Amino acid sequence: MDAFRLEGVGFRYRGGARPALSGIDLAAAPGERVGIIGLTGAGKSTLLRCLNRTVPAGFRGEFSGRVLLFGQDLAGKKPSSLADAVGLVFQDFESQLFSSFAELDVAFGPENLGLPAAEIRQRVTASLAAVGLAGFERRDPATLSGGQKQRLAIAAILALRPRLFLLDEPTTDLDPEGRTEVSALLGRLARKGMTVAVAEHEAELLSGLDRFVGLAQGRVTLDLPGPRALRDSGLLMALGVRPPDAVSLADQLGLASLPLNDPAAAACTLREAGFKARPNAAELIEEKDGGRKEPGAFIIEVEGLERLYHGGQGLRGVDLAVRRGEFVALLGRNGSGKTTLVKHFNGLLRPTAGEVRVDGRPASKLPPGELGRRIGFVFQDPDHQIFAGRVFDEVAFAPRNYGVDEAEIPKRVATALELVGLPDAAEADPFVLTKGERQRVALASALAAEPEVLVFDEPTTGLDYPAQLKVMELLADLNRQGRTVIIITHALWVAARYARRVVILDGGKALADGPAREALRDPGLMSAAGLAMPEAARIAKALGVPALTSEELALALERR
Amino acid sequence: MSTGFFADRPGFFRRLHPVTRILLLFLAFTCALVAQRPLYLLPLWAMFLLAGWRAGAMPGLRRVWWLLLLVGLASFGIWTFAFGGTESIFSLGPFSATRPGLIFGAGMGLRLGLMIFTGLIFLACTPVEEFSQGLTSLGLPFAVSFALSLSFRLAPLFGDTVRSILDAQRARGLKTNRGLSRLKTYVPLLAPVFAGALRRADLLAIALESKGFGRPGRRGSLYEWRVGFRDGLALALLFAVLAGLITLRFWGYGGVSR
Repeated sequence: MDAFRLEGVGFRYRGGARPALSGIDLAAAPGERVGIIGLTGAGKSTLLRCLNRTVPAGFRGEFSGRVLLFGQDLAGKKPSSLADAVGLVFQDFESQLFSSFAELDVAFGPENLGLPAAEIRQRVTASLAAVGLAGFERRDPATLSGGQKQRLAIAAILALRPRLFLLDEPTTDLDPEGRTEVSALLGRLARKGMTVAVAEHEAELLSGLDRFVGLAQGRVTLDLPGPRALRDSGLLMALGVRPPDAVSLADQLGLASLPLNDPAAAACTLREAGFKARPNAAELIEEKDGGRKEPGAFIIEVEGLERLYHGGQGLRGVDLAVRRGEFVALLGRNGSGKTTLVKHFNGLLRPTAGEVRVDGRPASKLPPGELGRRIGFVFQDPDHQIFAGRVFDEVAFAPRNYGVDEAEIPKRVATALELVGLPDAAEADPFVLTKGERQRVALASALAAEPEVLVFDEPTTGLDYPAQLKVMELLADLNRQGRTVIIITHALWVAARYARRVVILDGGKALADGPAREALRDPGLMSAAGLAMPEAARIAKALGVPALTSEELALALERR
Repeated sequence: MSTGFFADRPGFFRRLHPVTRILLLFLAFTCALVAQRPLYLLPLWAMFLLAGWRAGAMPGLRRVWWLLLLVGLASFGIWTFAFGGTESIFSLGPFSATRPGLIFGAGMGLRLGLMIFTGLIFLACTPVEEFSQGLTSLGLPFAVSFALSLSFRLAPLFGDTVRSILDAQRARGLKTNRGLSRLKTYVPLLAPVFAGALRRADLLAIALESKGFGRPGRRGSLYEWRVGFRDGLALALLFAVLAGLITLRFWGYGGVSR
């Protein structure tokens, strides 16, 4: 008997321009771990929703076909009646958290199942421990970081002990440590016989899965065993997944494959294939990394910055100085204080102690509006700012607020939209754009104020790989033009490829601050900060090459 | 996701059955309604201040003391003139302040303040889930009590979203204090707030159902509550106070007559 089977399933959301799913025939065996991949809007979330019946029960639209769960036809079933059979962790995980304490959020499902208190307690304890949240039982979920909330949402579904566990992009807000934990958790669940289906863009999480199903425009376009699909970088890219570094490197070096997730073995394979570091490897990498302007004078200086919250988290004496033209990545665990730190740069937060200076002047003494004009800020969720009915008005919002002459506004908007690659979108309704496009509108909106510094909180979160590349290349271009760029990211490949300097925060303090090439290649530092060296950097280190990315490593190697 | 007044402090009040806490709140309100004279209300205030201190309600009181003061002064002002009576002390135009009005007004201020404060004590020792559980134990269907408690839970969440949106718009130069044009400046806040709230409400309903909310049959509970000696003691004490106040009113004490 299949764990699940979809027969000719189709669904069109009410008002949808095209079906989200169309003619899906798909089945999975019990205990199988299936990765659902595809570009944003391919139908991944809808497919998962069909499996727990929230589509069509919770979303209006036209449904067709048949869904069978462990042999049972779901037609006419209520999602609540399936809670102990199938659990879904939402992409918008915060909507699944609504209790006063973390333990109550986890207990909610088992309580609905009518279990005895002792059994509920046992499930709560085990589920919180499984996601690394033991000891957080009495914490108010609102006080948790994004990554901790995501783990709590997973624990809450885990406590239902479903036979089919569905996760919709479960690692978007997680730090590398959290991603590794979730990845290990999926492995443990599968060993216990639980069937798992994950919609995801991250190769790291996908690498442990048995099978990949690719979706494009609501149709299944690929169904392959995991290892085979993971080794095809062209195929992964087409489906929105960033290929693992080892796969990209093998492609660039013309090799059939390299061992995945095992840098030592990959380095060994490379040596056996006759590859060695070029004598001038360091210079070649330096040359490739060049072309950016040298940093200028200090633009942001932070001294002894403290900001304490009731929960105890915050900043505990951070010193930092950013020069004009730098590209800085802020890294660190969930809740380490990254967002809190950058919110002081443009005056959104006032320090409890310490000082922030912009261009040598105390931020607290700058006229209102000047900070915001000089330090542009793009938030993680573009939907927290988009309000206008036209992209033009959305992008014009900041310059208008800063008193830019109305005659100059169209030029500013056009330039900003050109920069973000949406030159023809001025008249479009921002709410009908994809998330990647909305994020670019948010970026254009910040750029239109012509800020000297651009701060971007998690620029790649929730985007498929092509969209991630687009936004990061855009930031790199802006930096090459001399703009100071500061990003907060959990994606270490982003820091490795684009940042020249990284600042690592841990527990509200700066654990490290220095060139990306040094920090990201320091295994002790990475481990202390709950981070992991990028795979390419680990392979490179084993070969004695100072490379951070597969591109740099390919450049630095030669065949005997 | 608590109401913001909850103080997770172990102690006598936290160990009371949720139903007991709801009944105590009801009795406290009734006490405040029965006593009219400040002389009778001040000992009640002293008793509830002690209870509030034990229950961890003082941080909440520090947050809303201005509300209590405002309500107290407003009622005092209104009732001093509106209560009526023959014993006029002074007049403001057509309105006369009377001695009974003065006493009743002061008493009314203390009564309303006491009701707010006992509400704070309740919130300080009762997370919304226990309130919901208490209502269910009193016979309200779980779906109704849960929906009621959810409104408490979602208020701070809504506040968090508003703060995030406000940050995002302030980062783009939005000023929210421009006098008469203030309303217009709220448009960039309202659109994302309402769009987000609607989306969130939809998703929440789906999230609840996919976690088994609304399944037929008995619902379990992580916390098991048993009515014990302390519940009886607390109820008996407050009931005795109420009975005393009613008896005094019956004998002609504690009320204010024109």
